Amino acid sequence: MFDNNVFLKDSCVNVVENGVITGFELQTNITYYRGIPLSMMEYVHVAVDGEMIPDESISVSLDRIDYFTLKEAETVTSYKWEYGEPLIIRVAKEGGLAPGTHQVKLTVAVRTAYIPVPLEGTKERTVEIV
Amino acid sequence: MSRIKTCVSLYSLQDQYLTKKMTLNDILRFVKECGTQGIEILPDQMLKNAPHVSDETLENWHQMLKETGLTPVIADVFLNTNLYKNRTLTHRECIDLLIEEIKLANKLGMHLIRLVSMVPYWVIEPLLPYCEKYDVTIALEVHAGMAFDIEATSSFIREMKRLNSPYAGLVIDTSIFCRRFPRVVREYEIQNGASPEMFDYCDRLYERGEDLHKQMVKNGGRLPDAFVATMKTREDQIFGPLCDGYECYPFTVLDEYMPYIRHIHLKMYEMTPEGPEYSIDFKGLLQYLHSKGYDGYVATEYEGNRFTLPGHPTVEKEQVAANQKYIQQCLKEIQGSEGN
Repeated sequence: MFDNNVFLKDSCVNVVENGVITGFELQTNITYYRGIPLSMMEYVHVAVDGEMIPDESISVSLDRIDYFTLKEAETVTSYKWEYGEPLIIRVAKEGGLAPGTHQVKLTVAVRTAYIPVPLEGTKERTVEIV
Repeated sequence: MSRIKTCVSLYSLQDQYLTKKMTLNDILRFVKECGTQGIEILPDQMLKNAPHVSDETLENWHQMLKETGLTPVIADVFLNTNLYKNRTLTHRECIDLLIEEIKLANKLGMHLIRLVSMVPYWVIEPLLPYCEKYDVTIALEVHAGMAFDIEATSSFIREMKRLNSPYAGLVIDTSIFCRRFPRVVREYEIQNGASPEMFDYCDRLYERGEDLHKQMVKNGGRLPDAFVATMKTREDQIFGPLCDGYECYPFTVLDEYMPYIRHIHLKMYEMTPEGPEYSIDFKGLLQYLHSKGYDGYVATEYEGNRFTLPGHPTVEKEQVAANQKYIQQCLKEIQGSEGN
């Protein structure tokens, strides 16, 4: 139902820190129609060319200041993932994504106030890394 | 003599906001242009860090109310009982969260809060002193699939009647008055891989004044076998169980609840080019409400945006404008004014 919110176009890029490619990142809007504390994010899955990224390699940020691992994000109740503000998802991966074309699939789910199952959204994009 | 007034829920324009095509201020100006009197907002949707909004946000809000002349009518509130992954909030934690929402409504100049369906009945009594202090009424939403026959709703209604306070009431959502299955939902789901036969089944139910929810209740909460037989694809497995969210009550179901009804959501899937909504008879509903002396707001709540076909733009502005035009025209006919 909220697939259209997932994985913003052209948001997938390699992350360069101190001249070294340390991974890649992508952005997504929330799979809901309102903002909620980050702790209500149920899960994030990233797959590249059919291969799942382990949860431990993923961290998320609302503001590019604080980054939280998925486990840590479960306790973040004082900051909200606002409706209309993308979540930044970083994947730690030495060398990032190799130059060329990749199929990157993002799945995001959040817990809601009255729907018993988490609201999930998925989108796969063809990503060009130069 | 009724004095039904018009309102737009900003829920209707959520995609404009999400995709940054419109800011909150743009949206408020647009609603005013539609000739609407009041506004409904989901603080969690369009006010940063709600319910703890900044002074700057509040200043802008009041400035925009002044500029547009719109009346702040109702704030749509949610209860994050599942804030934590490993446990459900305690009663006290739930009540504390809702007290913050009451304070915010007061700061926004609103005297009414919509509590989302399934909010438990036991919040009412402890909240009443705060409702009185801040002059904010709490009203539970009665929505299709979660309406009068669902325990969470019926227990809230029992408690509301027992406490008999002017500060506790109901919001009625017109998803309980569907006369046909919304065709925009059908088209969107078929495009996603759902089977047309599943929707044909629902259509046949409406033809005889029934709906899937009623059948499920009769069937002990399970989907009827004949409906399950139409479910063939993966999408059918996902969406089939959600087909009970479009109920077909007669308007007279509201008779006994009229003293408690504080607000109406004109849930709307598709205004047709000819004028009426495809699934719901709004004119009939307004005539009913007029006959009962209802003097609250009726708020456009467009939900067809969620069923926009991939590659197509959402038509939120067009649909809201069309609905407001239709409702204002109906009110003029029925009560001799456009809601003014």
